[in-house]
Amino acid sequence: MSLILQGLALGVLTGGLYALLASGLSLYFGVMRVVMVAHPAFLFLAAYLTYTVHTAFGVDPFLALPVTVPVFFVLGVAVQRLLVARLAPDNLAMMSVLLTFGLALTIEGLLGTFYTGSYRSISMEYATRSLTVGGVSLPYDRIIAFAVAALTLGVLFAVLVKSRFGRALRATIQHPEAARLVGIPTERVAGYGFGVGLATAAVGGTVLALITPFFPASHWVWIGKLMAIIVVGGLGSVVGAALAAVLLGVVEGVVLVTVDATWATMMFYVFVFLTLLARPQGFFGGRLAHRF
Amino acid sequence: MARVHKGLAIISLCALGLTACAKTDEPGAAQSPGQQQGAVRIGISLPLTGDFSEPGKGIQEGYQVWADRVNAKGGLLGRKVELLFRDDASDPNRVSSDYESLITQDKVDLVFGPFSSRLVIPAAKVAESYNMVFVEPAGAAAEVFEQGFTRLFYAAPAIADDHYDYLADHLVKLPADQRPKTAAYASLDDPFAQGTAYGLRDKLAAAGVETVVDEVYPPETTDFAPIAAKIAAANPDIVVGGTQFEDAVGLVRALQELKVQPKLAAFSTGPTLPEFPEAVRGAAEHIVSPVGWSATADLPGNQEMVARYKQMFGGEPNEDAANGYTVGQIIETAVAAVQCADPSRACQDKLTQHIRQATFQTVVGPLSFDDQGRPEQAHMIQQYVDGKIEIVLPEQARTAELVYPKQAW
Repeated sequence: MSLILQGLALGVLTGGLYALLASGLSLYFGVMRVVMVAHPAFLFLAAYLTYTVHTAFGVDPFLALPVTVPVFFVLGVAVQRLLVARLAPDNLAMMSVLLTFGLALTIEGLLGTFYTGSYRSISMEYATRSLTVGGVSLPYDRIIAFAVAALTLGVLFAVLVKSRFGRALRATIQHPEAARLVGIPTERVAGYGFGVGLATAAVGGTVLALITPFFPASHWVWIGKLMAIIVVGGLGSVVGAALAAVLLGVVEGVVLVTVDATWATMMFYVFVFLTLLARPQGFFGGRLAHRF
Repeated sequence: MARVHKGLAIISLCALGLTACAKTDEPGAAQSPGQQQGAVRIGISLPLTGDFSEPGKGIQEGYQVWADRVNAKGGLLGRKVELLFRDDASDPNRVSSDYESLITQDKVDLVFGPFSSRLVIPAAKVAESYNMVFVEPAGAAAEVFEQGFTRLFYAAPAIADDHYDYLADHLVKLPADQRPKTAAYASLDDPFAQGTAYGLRDKLAAAGVETVVDEVYPPETTDFAPIAAKIAAANPDIVVGGTQFEDAVGLVRALQELKVQPKLAAFSTGPTLPEFPEAVRGAAEHIVSPVGWSATADLPGNQEMVARYKQMFGGEPNEDAANGYTVGQIIETAVAAVQCADPSRACQDKLTQHIRQATFQTVVGPLSFDDQGRPEQAHMIQQYVDGKIEIVLPEQARTAELVYPKQAW
């Protein structure tokens, strides 16, 4: 019983991390139906930049964020305006897979060139300790990851709901033509949307760097998991992705402690199948999924 | 979904790559009549990108150091050695087509193996079908030797199952009150990593050490805390990880977080890499691993290889580089013995027969092979003692005493 509780607790914490990592993907898809295969590659690009800041200046990895977040925002706007916006609109989903796959390979190659293929890791003092509450151990690095994820998603959500930019972005997500009719510069908004998505990758990358060692090809294992999360959550729904992330994190954690790791990993794909069979638009939110 | 896309994209990229190669290689193929007098061309596919890119590069460097040394002293049979590398991106389909084109289009004289059992098996099938002798640096899983290959040889001291032999013997011989009673095993779903852990598990289980956790996780696993939670609940005397690098670090961190304090912690591969102590901070102390090669060992050509590696690449070579170099040493000795290095069936047959019966002096020690190409020796056991890597087993090679039980991490 305590083992299941432990699995549950770890699952919730890991789910928070997944939510942070998947939120950007959901935004890209929502804003412009772009399947962004390169998102995990950007996560690890951020992890490497964090590593550089951490080792060069000896500061806490989170102090890299004031540098990486703006850089990634600008990078995101540039990628959208210079590359994604030029894709033929009638075949956008498929072409964006190819384009961003190329981006992912480019990033992996550049990381390999600059940082070599060696493993890098950031190991902080707090990364190996944990808080024990009623027989359940909660690792500090997971708690930090969860808190950062909650904070980032909170800010993201507030921006989407409260700000003028957020309203414009949501209008662009819901109906681009109508948004243009009421005077929203949808192209620019889409660019900013992409920028915000990559900015979440900057935060996610820093958190990942704390938790796991990485090398240039580390991003591949994340694509499947993160894609599964946004499909289950409902493509384009940031809240849906967050809920699905926590759900899948918990399922993974509990299955891991009760059955085994192979089944736990398979759960992601089982949920994708169930979603596509029962509710193709996704279990949470996903009001727009049936439009494509 | 993404996997399918990735797979499709990789296949299309491969197809593009192949057609490109076919074009550019035509002029080279046309010159083939003079080949016999030209360089000895050796075809190699390696995982230079993707999952195995790190060890793949290590092997590549080992091959290059070997070729550099051979060329510096006049080549093989007076012919210069030329290495043709292909990148298979850690993809088992691509590794087959790489060797296929190296043998049929580039018409290489010899082939060397890729990295890891998963790529060695498809690669060896191709080499076997063209009757090419296939010495490989990293394919230690039991399956590799059960495919009926007749020209495959594994150029390292031991197959996966025998890596921990010295440690198993040592633990079994401990007095009853010190001997561990329970053991937990966690292994990556990979034939090599599993082989190492299961080799130890089977030997300890036969000696009465109870297996309390036996977990297998897929390569996609990114979260090791729940596995550690299972191990924590069983509270074993020893913890054994059939690991590569990320998972070894992930498991060590997670075991610390969940306050598991075993008397002995053994992990394959990860702790032998120089990045390991930094990645786990102070926790590396007293972790043991099987190791097939040591930079300080006084073996034929070892110091020369280390020096040449430093000169070519800077830094210390690792075990992968040593294994690559070993492949070169075996082929070099065999070619000198049978006086040929060409892709003809007669020459490849002579090389195969020679390698099967001879004993080779290499940087990983003397090597000989059984009928399936398995090496007949065993791995040394290393341990971090006072922050330094020491060889603790077997007795004749040891530089320090095995510390057991280990300090808390």
